[in-house]
Amino acid sequence: MFLVIGRTFKEALSNFFRNGWLSLAAVTVLILSLYILSLMFVVTKTANGILTDVENKVNVSVYFKSDATPERMEALQNQLEKNADVASVDFVSREKALENFKRNNANEPIIIKSLEEIGDNPLLASLIVKANNQTKYDSIVSAISGSDYKDDISRVNYGKNKEIIDRLNKIITEIKKFGLGLVVLFSVISILIVFNTIRITIYTHKNEIEVMRLVGASNTFIRLPFVFEGILYGIIATLISTVFVFVTIFLVNSKISTILTSQNLLSVFYHNVLFIIGVQLAVGIILGVVSSMIAIRKYLKI
Amino acid sequence: MIRFDQVTKKFKDDSPALEDINLEIKEGEFVSIVGASGAGKSTLLKLIYAEEKPTIGTVFFKDKPLDSIKRRKMPFHRRNIGTVFQDFKLLPKKTVFENVAYALEACGAPKAEIMEDVPQILDIVGLGEKMHKFPRELSGGEQQRVALARALIHKPLVIVADEPTGNLDPVSSVELVELLLKINNLGTTVLLASHDKDIVNKAAKRMVILEKGKIIGDEAIGEYKIS
Repeated sequence: MFLVIGRTFKEALSNFFRNGWLSLAAVTVLILSLYILSLMFVVTKTANGILTDVENKVNVSVYFKSDATPERMEALQNQLEKNADVASVDFVSREKALENFKRNNANEPIIIKSLEEIGDNPLLASLIVKANNQTKYDSIVSAISGSDYKDDISRVNYGKNKEIIDRLNKIITEIKKFGLGLVVLFSVISILIVFNTIRITIYTHKNEIEVMRLVGASNTFIRLPFVFEGILYGIIATLISTVFVFVTIFLVNSKISTILTSQNLLSVFYHNVLFIIGVQLAVGIILGVVSSMIAIRKYLKI
Repeated sequence: MIRFDQVTKKFKDDSPALEDINLEIKEGEFVSIVGASGAGKSTLLKLIYAEEKPTIGTVFFKDKPLDSIKRRKMPFHRRNIGTVFQDFKLLPKKTVFENVAYALEACGAPKAEIMEDVPQILDIVGLGEKMHKFPRELSGGEQQRVALARALIHKPLVIVADEPTGNLDPVSSVELVELLLKINNLGTTVLLASHDKDIVNKAAKRMVILEKGKIIGDEAIGEYKIS
């Protein structure tokens, strides 16, 4: 058995190099397909990351009137915490709000100065409410404004964020749909092309296959070199395409990192590099082997 | 050893390539199968090494009907038969040695056996000196002898030669037939299909004459007159 595997693998290697141009064509097509698949993966993954980031930043701020009593504020907090749609409620006291404000504006001496001139704390106490789910904010907001505490509330800050988030959400959904469409399209194209290329390489071997059969080679012995050749295509294409993907992402990333601060294509690539290589290997090898198996069937009849 | 029992072979709608063939070939025989192009010589040989299946009737090999051999076992049947063709069917990217060794590798023979047997068989066909050359560096006659060496490497029971001299000059042709006779003398059954009367008459062995798919003559020591 090892003898057969060793011999057929050697055969596959020499086939690969002795049919340089055809091998090159098959590998190139595979590289292109794998490259596009991987790029789409990194891009969608990054887009998802952006969406999650933005979603995490969404919250509803409930500002209390300056005369609301601590008991009333705590009671509202407790009530909201019991709401099944609410993930968390954080209380920010007036003092804490001032502290945050000062810290955020530490580099703006004019603002700090004017604050000191006021003397009094102009900021309001608030509750920061986060929902379990994007879609629940509307019901939470209406629950707050419809509650017994509505007279203690100065304002609920939600409306502005909502529009931006909705729009972003829509854009990202579109990107995902488009990406998925591209991936499907390219998968189909590459399956067809790879299959065809391998069929041609096997066609050029049809004399050899005939001879093999005549000298009494078993079907396995005839088939294995082509299967190994398919695996070889997959491995080489994966290596090269991974390098290409890395270079592309590296170049693109340096251009867009100023726009997208929260997400980084390169780090997404690093975090998933094993997964990307694994999937590429699997896709490449399966494509290579299945094409070989189907293509060679024709010459193994009888 | 080989027996055709009322064998007819048709290809699609055409008239039969072989019709009602009854033929028995004994172990150790040398049989020339002659006839014009299209008489059915190649088809008859293909039925033996199971490249084609009969439409009607049965071909027996050592009393075993070929259609009872399972697809997976077919390679083992083929190892009993060495084949030689008009176009040599050598692999151009392998050396003489590799071409012959290949037949043994395909059957899973150990390396030691290959290293021993291949040079030996190449010596028998007179190509021991040229075993590291590629087929394109050899003459037609030499290439055909490589093909013959490859056919012999399994020590097959039967050698099937389909127009082996078709691409050879007269001198090489005679040499090849002499080589086939020598192999036959050593005990291997030989089937030689040819339309070349000089060649089969040179062999001067049993002759089966085919015409339009039918056997019209079978003589112990035949002479082929029409060419």
